[in-house]
Amino acid sequence: MSKWICVICGYIYDPAVGIPDAGIAAGTAFEDLPEDWICPECGSPKSAFEVYEA
Amino acid sequence: MNDTASTAAPAGRIEIDARIFNPYSKDYIREPDPVWQTLIRDYPIAWHKDLQMWIVSTHELVDRMLKDNRFSPYFGHWEHAPPPKPEDQKNDFDKSYEVGFFAVPPKDHLRLRKLTMPAFSKPVMAKIDAKIRDLIVECFDSIGDAEEFDVYETLAAKIPVRAIARMVGVPTNMEDFFHDFAVNIIKATRINLGPKEREAAMQATLPGYAHFREMIAERRARPEGPGDDFFGSLISASDNGSQLTDYEILSVIFALITAGSDTATDLHTFLLQALLSHPDQLALLRQKPELMENAIIECLRWGSFGKMPFFRFATEDIEFAGQQIRKGQGIGVNIMAAWHDPAKWPEPTKLDITRRLDGNIVFGAGAHFCIGTYLVRVQGSLMLTEFMKRFPDATLADGDGRIDYEWTHHNARRINRLVVKTNVAPARKAA
Repeated sequence: MSKWICVICGYIYDPAVGIPDAGIAAGTAFEDLPEDWICPECGSPKSAFEVYEA
Repeated sequence: MNDTASTAAPAGRIEIDARIFNPYSKDYIREPDPVWQTLIRDYPIAWHKDLQMWIVSTHELVDRMLKDNRFSPYFGHWEHAPPPKPEDQKNDFDKSYEVGFFAVPPKDHLRLRKLTMPAFSKPVMAKIDAKIRDLIVECFDSIGDAEEFDVYETLAAKIPVRAIARMVGVPTNMEDFFHDFAVNIIKATRINLGPKEREAAMQATLPGYAHFREMIAERRARPEGPGDDFFGSLISASDNGSQLTDYEILSVIFALITAGSDTATDLHTFLLQALLSHPDQLALLRQKPELMENAIIECLRWGSFGKMPFFRFATEDIEFAGQQIRKGQGIGVNIMAAWHDPAKWPEPTKLDITRRLDGNIVFGAGAHFCIGTYLVRVQGSLMLTEFMKRFPDATLADGDGRIDYEWTHHNARRINRLVVKTNVAPARKAA
C-alpha cells in the first residue's frame, strides 16, 4: 500500500499506521478512506493528495 | 478606517462599528480577548460599518469560510480594487501577483502547490534547518553574559527575515534590503491601508523583484543546472512536463515572505512572553521536550498576535450564516478570535502546552494553509531549545518584561520591547 502526501501542507498519510486517534485503523488504504475524508492537518479534500514516492 | 460612504443597512444585516471592534485601539492591542469574546458571543458574523467589511469571528464560521473557495484571498476580487492595468503597463509586482497562490483559480492553485512541494521537501528543508540553527546560535552569542536582553531587538527582528533570506540565497549584506522588500510586499495589498500607501509600497517592491529576476536568470543559465537548494528546486520543479515560470517563482517568494518573515517576527516575542509568564509550562517543556511542537502551536493560539483579520473577497453573491454577502465585498476572517472561541477551546485564555489541538486553525485551513508552517515550527523549536539551554533561570524583567507595542503596526499586535532577565551572572557569581 502506498503512502499519500497532501500537496497543500505536506501531511503524509501512511496506511501502515492509519490514524487510530481519528478512528482510522492501521492497514487502511488511502483509497478506502471515506470520500469526504479531509486532511487532518489543513482540511484539504482527498483530491489534494498524491502518491508519495520518496 | 475606510471612508467609503455607507448606505442604509439591508434588511436583516447585523452591523457593528468601531465601538465594538477597533483593531487600532490601544486597549485592544494590549488585551484583545474581551473584544473577541464579545464578537464570538454576540456577533459571530457582522458587517463592520467603519471598516466596510464583514467580520467573521467564531471557530466554526472561520473554519468553514477558509475551506470555501468562493471566498478568495485575491485582492483583485475586492469591489474597491483598482481596475486591472493594461498589459503593457504591468510591472513585475502585478505580473507575479496575478499568477500567484492568492490570485489563481483553485485548479491552477493546486498545480502551483504540486510544483512547489519539492522545494519544501524534507531534504531541502534539512539543509535550511542547519543554516537556521547557525543563525540562531549567532543571535544568542551576541547576548553573551548580559544581565538583560530585549527579545525583539536581539532575536525577533533578526531571526525570521534572515532565515528566509538564507532560504532564498540572499547574501548577508543585503538583508536590510530584503527586509524592506518583505514589508512592502505585505503592505501593497492590505485593504486597511489607503490607495496611496499601497501604491507607494508596491513601487518600493520593484528593486527586489528585479534582483530576484536576475537570480532566476543566473540559475537558469548555469551549465551544471540550477542547484538542489530551495531556489534551484523551484526552478527545476516539474509535474507532467509543466514547470514554474519566472513570475510563478517570484510569486512563491512573495508567498514565502508574506507567510514567513514579518509575521514570524511575532513568533519569537510571543513564544517567550507566553512561556516566561507561565513558568510551570516552561518547566514542563524543559522536562518533556517532546511537547515542543504542541507547545509552539498552543503558544501561538494563546498569544494570538494578529491585529487585523485575514482578508477574503466574495467571488459571487453568497448567503453565509444567515447573512447576504455581496460579490466583491471584503471579509475580515477573524482567525485570532477563532483561536479563543470557548466552544472549540475550553478556558481559551489558559496556556496549556499539553492541550489537544486537533482541528486547530493556527496555520489556517483549506487551500491556502500556511506554506511556511514547517519553517515556523523549525525556527520556533530551535530558538526555544537554545534559549532554555542558555538561560534556564530566565524571567521577564520587572514581571512583565517592560513590554511595549508598536501601536501603529499595520497588521500585528507587534511587541517591540520584551526584556528578559537572564539571571546568568548572579548564578555564576554565586558559584
